[in-house]
Amino acid sequence: MPQASQSARPERQGYVLLAPALIVYLLFAVYPMIDVIRMSFSSWNGLSPEARFVGLANYRAIVTQDPVFWGALRNTIWWTALAVILPNLISFGLALALNQNIPGKSSLRVVFYLPVIIASIAVATIWKWMYDPFFGLFNNLLMQMGLDGWILDWLGDRKVALWSVFVAHVWQSVGFSMVLFLAGLQGVSATLVEAARIDGAGRWGVFRYVTLPALKPTMMVVFVLSLINSLKAFDIVYGMTGGGPAQSTQMLAMWAYTQSMQLGVFGRGAAVSVVLLLITLVIVLPYIRWMFRREEMAR
Amino acid sequence: MTMTKRWKTALSALAVSAGMAAGTAQAGEVKIWTLTFDNNSANIAWDKTIKEFEAANPGITVTREGRSVDEHKAALRVAAQSSQGPDIYFMWAGLGLGGEFVKAGLSKPLDAYYTQYDWDKRIVGTAGSFSKLYPGGRHGVPYTFHGEAIYYNKALFQKAGITELPKSYDELKAVAAKLKEAGITPMTFGGTVNWHLMRLMDVILEAKCGAEKHDQLMDMKLDWGTEACATASFEELADWSQNYILKPFMGIDNSQSFNLFLANRAAMMVEGDWLVGQLSDAKKIDNFDLFPVPTGTDRLYGFAEYLYVSSKSANPDDAAKFLDYLLSDKVQQENLGAFGSISVNSNVKYANISALDQKWLDIFGKYTKIYVNGDQAFPLDVTTEYWRVINEVASGNLKGAEAGKTLQTFISNRG
Repeated sequence: MPQASQSARPERQGYVLLAPALIVYLLFAVYPMIDVIRMSFSSWNGLSPEARFVGLANYRAIVTQDPVFWGALRNTIWWTALAVILPNLISFGLALALNQNIPGKSSLRVVFYLPVIIASIAVATIWKWMYDPFFGLFNNLLMQMGLDGWILDWLGDRKVALWSVFVAHVWQSVGFSMVLFLAGLQGVSATLVEAARIDGAGRWGVFRYVTLPALKPTMMVVFVLSLINSLKAFDIVYGMTGGGPAQSTQMLAMWAYTQSMQLGVFGRGAAVSVVLLLITLVIVLPYIRWMFRREEMAR
Repeated sequence: MTMTKRWKTALSALAVSAGMAAGTAQAGEVKIWTLTFDNNSANIAWDKTIKEFEAANPGITVTREGRSVDEHKAALRVAAQSSQGPDIYFMWAGLGLGGEFVKAGLSKPLDAYYTQYDWDKRIVGTAGSFSKLYPGGRHGVPYTFHGEAIYYNKALFQKAGITELPKSYDELKAVAAKLKEAGITPMTFGGTVNWHLMRLMDVILEAKCGAEKHDQLMDMKLDWGTEACATASFEELADWSQNYILKPFMGIDNSQSFNLFLANRAAMMVEGDWLVGQLSDAKKIDNFDLFPVPTGTDRLYGFAEYLYVSSKSANPDDAAKFLDYLLSDKVQQENLGAFGSISVNSNVKYANISALDQKWLDIFGKYTKIYVNGDQAFPLDVTTEYWRVINEVASGNLKGAEAGKTLQTFISNRG
């Protein structure tokens, strides 16, 4: 057998092995994405046989006429900004604490990770009950402590509703980032730490000049994953408030779903989805570039 | 057999079997899509009725698929684009939810079947009246019919010294004020499910605008922004929210609201005839009574759930035959209480029923006209905005005059 065909064979095998996954990806990810973009230029109620091309009308409508869109965009940005900072700071603190040799650290790791494996809709139900204004845990605790003035309609008052949902999100999500940070901490070179100590670095010095730089790739991964998940925020908000009161906790992903699947305004729902997609791409593309560069440098 | 031939044979067999599986409804097959009913006795009654119908009509097979509300709506939209949909489908009556499907041409006009089976002779008039709402013929038959009224706590009314039930909207407000004076919260609602609080707005509109204007507002033929009664209604809603509704209410749902009502935390609740069963289950039926919302228009607040025959049905005659059986005196009498507390069949006899059920029968007998819930009257997108505006007013974030204008802006922007 000629040598050239022998060397080409593994490549071909690679493509054959890749093909099923690629077909599934093209069919169930790329095609729907393209179809959503096409739909965003159409008017369709899901019932009539054909969608009507309307150009940019859906985009004009969501930007100028939709009373909920801007609120949903604001909430999504607010949520994303907080979600990449607060839960990750807590996760990082937990990871640092649970990376020490403290008694019961394995059990504590499980305890903090447990909410991650609970379905979001179940988390929503649990917290919804705790927030119940009449029978819920929080208001009853406040009453027992004599803090009646602090009692709130946690999910019914637009001033606090989104914060209330966000707290539930923090509870659910810190465990995931904590595990990533723990994995990163395990990878910090013990030799470097030891060398830094021999050179006279104190706890803060080791942390500042050895641990933190070594955790940079982990931090980047945690940051980007939190960002993407926050932009997609849907289930916990849907389960706890359904976007209410008066659409004040509405998010872009949920509004796209509501427009399409509940109101049957598929074109506008698709336009909202495309806006969300664009925002996500603007944020994620630099990350993908960074990943490629890192891989190239590693080679 | 060569490899290619084997492939061809296998593919042909696959294509044939796929075609058989995915083909349109077979002759004599009736597919019904309904909700998965929370009340399990309804599911049992459906299964029993189907079995009996099939036994009496050899050659006709009836299958029923139940889904949750949102899944059902989504499945019907998907089915609208294919020939795989149902022959009969469940949907609410009215120009909103049901009307959307009728408007899209997915419901078959049933005028011929109404004549053939003489359905009007046995269908309760108000329940059947929805079938005449649509242009181009009569659509659907009633599956259930519900009225909504004010349930009240007898002991709390007595404690507040209320001896006479209100006969007008002003008297209702006076009752609310009297209850408040006695330290009793007059009304309870759950705000998270938007349609619950909407009921209050619906009845206020009926009282403040009168039947004709209310209908015109719901048909979007009158301007919500300039119509004085619409502004007055939103202001009334704000007044109720600030003074007479158990707080906080925006963060609770209808079932939590019901539990508070059961626990004597509020004196009144706007609910449907189905609440009788819930009060009975809670073994507190004797503590409560009800009266129609006194709007002064002689119309009952209510809605109907319908069964429509799909315009894509391959077997509309069999579908109509099944509906005729479902509406028959026998089936409706045997399953009384399973489909709904009140039958849509006027020949059904009621015996050994509770005082509250009897009261509902009297109410259904008395009223000949109805006005429907806002979410049954408006198209879906307007309903969503109507809810948002109501919630904003109830939360004190929007003034009455602004509320009407906000809703009208949305309606006008629809084009």
